[in-house]
Amino acid sequence: MDTPIVEMARISKRFGDLQALAEVDLTVHKGDIHALVGENGAGKTTLMNILYGLYRPDAGTIRVRGTEAHIAGPRDAIALGIGMIHQHFMLVPPLTVAENVVLGDERGGPVLDTRGIEARVAELEKRFGIQAEPRAKIEDVPLGIQQRVEILKVLYRGSEILIFDEPTAVLTPQEVDDLFHIVRTLRDEGKTVILITHKLREVMAVSDHVTVLREGRNAAHLVTKETDPRAIAVAMVGRELRDIRVRPGNVGPAVLEITSLSAESDRGGLALKGVDVEVHAGEVVGIAGVGGNGQSELAQCILGLRKVTGGVIKVGGSDVAHDDPRRTRQRGVAYVPEDRRAEGLVLPFTLADNFILGRQDQPPYARRGILQGRVIRREGERLAKEFDVRPPDPDVEVGTLSGGNQQKVVLGREISESPRLIVANQPTRGLDIAATEYVHERLLEQRSRGCAILLISSELDEILDLSDRIAVMFEGRIVAVLPAAEATEERLGLLMAGHVEGVPA
Amino acid sequence: MRQPSFDWTQGPAIPVVSVLFALVLGGLFVWISGHDPIQAYAALFRGAFGSPYDVSETLVIAVPLLLAGLSVAVAFRAGLFNIGAQGQLLVGAVAAGWVGALWPDLPGILLLPLTLAAGVLGGAAYGGIAGWLKAARGVNEVITTIMQNYTIVFVMHWLLQNGPMQAPNAFGTPASAPIGAGAILPIVLPDFLVPSSRLHAGIVLALLATLGFWFLLWRTSLGYELRAVGLGMRAAAQAGIDPRKRMVIVMAIAGGFAGLAGMIQVSGLFHRVYDGFSAGFGFDAIAVALLGKNTPVGVLLSALLFAAFSRGGTLMQSDAEISSHLVEIVEALVLFVIAAETVVRAVARRWGRPVKAAS
Amino acid sequence: MEVLIGAGVLAATIRLATPVALAALGGVVTERSGVVNIALEGCMLVGAFFGVFAADKTGSLPAALAVAILAGLALAAMHAVAAITFRADQIVSGMALNILALGLTSYLDYQLYSSTGTPPTIPLVPNVHLGFLEKVPVLGGAVGDQSAIVWVTLAIVVFLQLFLFRTVPGLRLRSVGEHPRAADTLGIDVRRTRYWAVLASGALAALGGVYLSLSVAGSFSDNMTNGKGFIGLAAMIFGRWTPLGALGAALVFGYGDALSVSLQGVEVAGFVFPVQLLSTIPYLLTILAVAGFVGRSRMPAADGQPYESEGH
Repeated sequence: MDTPIVEMARISKRFGDLQALAEVDLTVHKGDIHALVGENGAGKTTLMNILYGLYRPDAGTIRVRGTEAHIAGPRDAIALGIGMIHQHFMLVPPLTVAENVVLGDERGGPVLDTRGIEARVAELEKRFGIQAEPRAKIEDVPLGIQQRVEILKVLYRGSEILIFDEPTAVLTPQEVDDLFHIVRTLRDEGKTVILITHKLREVMAVSDHVTVLREGRNAAHLVTKETDPRAIAVAMVGRELRDIRVRPGNVGPAVLEITSLSAESDRGGLALKGVDVEVHAGEVVGIAGVGGNGQSELAQCILGLRKVTGGVIKVGGSDVAHDDPRRTRQRGVAYVPEDRRAEGLVLPFTLADNFILGRQDQPPYARRGILQGRVIRREGERLAKEFDVRPPDPDVEVGTLSGGNQQKVVLGREISESPRLIVANQPTRGLDIAATEYVHERLLEQRSRGCAILLISSELDEILDLSDRIAVMFEGRIVAVLPAAEATEERLGLLMAGHVEGVPA
Repeated sequence: MRQPSFDWTQGPAIPVVSVLFALVLGGLFVWISGHDPIQAYAALFRGAFGSPYDVSETLVIAVPLLLAGLSVAVAFRAGLFNIGAQGQLLVGAVAAGWVGALWPDLPGILLLPLTLAAGVLGGAAYGGIAGWLKAARGVNEVITTIMQNYTIVFVMHWLLQNGPMQAPNAFGTPASAPIGAGAILPIVLPDFLVPSSRLHAGIVLALLATLGFWFLLWRTSLGYELRAVGLGMRAAAQAGIDPRKRMVIVMAIAGGFAGLAGMIQVSGLFHRVYDGFSAGFGFDAIAVALLGKNTPVGVLLSALLFAAFSRGGTLMQSDAEISSHLVEIVEALVLFVIAAETVVRAVARRWGRPVKAAS
Repeated sequence: MEVLIGAGVLAATIRLATPVALAALGGVVTERSGVVNIALEGCMLVGAFFGVFAADKTGSLPAALAVAILAGLALAAMHAVAAITFRADQIVSGMALNILALGLTSYLDYQLYSSTGTPPTIPLVPNVHLGFLEKVPVLGGAVGDQSAIVWVTLAIVVFLQLFLFRTVPGLRLRSVGEHPRAADTLGIDVRRTRYWAVLASGALAALGGVYLSLSVAGSFSDNMTNGKGFIGLAAMIFGRWTPLGALGAALVFGYGDALSVSLQGVEVAGFVFPVQLLSTIPYLLTILAVAGFVGRSRMPAADGQPYESEGH
């Protein structure tokens, strides 16, 4: 057998009290597409950050092309022919595609040779069959193109080993196909690809070998052709998965009625261009769509966090389109925001103080503007127990809790007042499987109670598992609403990419 | 990633280390410029605490410093940087001086509350403008408040030199007419205890304001909201706490504390407004608030410390012939060290526990 | 009309705009790299003092300029260490250094010159006489006899505009201020870039300070910058973080300032506007300008945010 191009042996890495990696091995051969899979927190990204020189391992050795390598920073990694396509794109928005590709390795004199740079980038695009307008500014091109720029950056530096970190998280199914086409072209050109992912379908579709990590350790090493998704899943989770696809419930009257809603995005321009959607009591309506098509703006409009420029939002029959968040919430609207650390919680506040956020001036927590400390603390203790927050200490600083426990605090606060509508935006992003299941169970519990739920998620599995009806959002519009029973991944995927049914794209 | 916590670096250790460090550097500076640092600091200490009279003079300076410090601190708690305590103090002083002299014959029971209200409201309005510009137009409060500080100085030149508040003055400095006897805060230290002390009842108001600061921030819904906006603006906003309204409110409160300081300087100390009035307290207040970690007790203690520096510095200049500006240098160094708190943390970590061999 | 657009007002505009422009240019360079430096006021002040100090001690103008700029560099270096290496709060560090500069220069001024004032016989920065413009109305009076530093400032504006937008180091500097992590992953040294930018801002502000003391006033007095560094920061915002824009904004502020001088004693319909209130014009103008423009211009995305590289 030939020498592996990358050989990582017994790699360990600790962050504070967390053992992120424990004696992990990874062997990758030249010309392979090697999938590195595992749950959130399994150590995939940490391992790759070590290979790319962003972290230094506490122990273990790395060999590249058979020679031991000491990678002290990205510069060393680049010199060894290793390139990384980051999950969060590392692009400078006001600069052009070409400038982003060459940044740090501009070649030529100190004066910027803009034409030469654009020509070189165009040449590179031709060779690998990648399309992106070199002169376009990054802030003006869609995410799919931005990812191509990331790939071009790596190829421009002559990388032989390309690491893709969760590359499909922000792409439509069709963009994913395009990406995999590029990945196969790269392999055919002799490049080696390491693909970090937790999506089994992608592993099966594109990879040659699979390394599975679980809780910072090696869980399995498999040849893709000789395995199946179930085996990989079991290796990933360490147990069989539960199936929670919902049964139809008792649907009541409409709680949320939105008609021709329009609103602007932060950058100006229209984010919502006439959205129509209804959610009934006892029903979960899932909003499927690729991130950035107006979902977050929709949630913000309902809450009153974003100015509505047109249309009507009715909650329980009254128009709340121009209400502020306080008045909207008083009508029984609860909100699980997208970014719990920035939007859901005041991290330096205690658990008890976070539970009363938004109710800090209402009895029993306050009387005539004076906080009732004892009541607040007692209530914090009760809710912490009820929602299984660990540790259940009302005085603990919320910023020190794990992501799952933080989300329990948010969920507990929002649910405890028995809302009639919950707007949940990416409620399980970044959570491990146990916490995800907990959040799902709690949301479904609210549905059985008769609460209306608007669920925004970029995880198709989550949408399909929980929704009664699925609305697909594309470029600021709801392009279709399907009963869950009629929704398939393929159909949703096409809709998410803007292929409206019955209308040729 | 969670910051490892080192308990003794919390609490008062960092402020104390910062002050010591600044004093050592300041001493070094005195030594380089050809004087004896020990002598300088001895003169400074004598000036601040050498006699009961000196102590009472230190307290006289501590009163406006404490209030201006609370002004900066309350804004900090809501995430705003109030560099405008100086300007707000002056507006408060002008308003109090004007109202106090407007009806000089009113009895104290009416005139004192009116003067007090004028000072507080004047400062609050001036601070509120900065808050409103931030909320409505997104103008950084640092820029606005700095510009407001300069503006009021020139407005005072006008008011006192050839404007409506101009009045004859024995010292030749442009000044306003004296306030009515009813607006004057009484001296609290009787002559047989400290002869000719100037310590006035403003100290009682300042201590009450400190108590109010604590009560507002940690015992009321509004205080909770201000702190929530300061520590997690977006979380507060989605929960229905409008950060923009709170910005205006907190800047008005900050201006109110500073305006009270200005009113006390007029009612307790000078009994009129004059040109060049109480310069520099607003900047000292930034150091006071930061050194005091924006807590009531901390602000109180650091106001006393900086008041001692200030009082002692004046005597140091006359006794040891070292410029009282040395005090500013020490103060700046304190502030600088607090800004770079991680330096102290890093040092503390080295001392706090053995560094692991392999990293 | 003469008080509004005469040669005298225009010359004063240029004279008053120059220090603001230099501070604004410093602000552009440092904030484009992602570091807020409100210590520019202090850098100006130490530049003003140490220029006079060195001119007095050495009697040499080049030495005076060099020492002034070194003083600005030293203060900026302290800010860089605090803001970049120790990730300190940049506003607090900047305020501390402003107070330090004020205390230090006042202290030294008192210790060295208290009885006498700064010496009248120090070498000053010469003016550039443009004889051929003498006959040209307005223009000749406006630019025909300005300090050499005015022309140096103009050259710096052109240089910085080209540097930031037409060179490789300029591209890298901007990328560091917009997305430091992206720059870091591409092997650009974020810390080093920021250090250079902060140092450059200190040198530029110090040049503005030495212009005040060794060109305009011919002496040093306590706190003689009087907020010009802060107004420079407003000019930077108003000028949308570009050197040319900063120059334009500085000229607007300079004009406001010049008006407050030229309108003194002018009677309009029997009403004399109070001199002291006219002096508030530049400060009010600053607030108005920022209020009108801050929402519409885009600041560098990583401005004021400390950068911590991953790992170790």
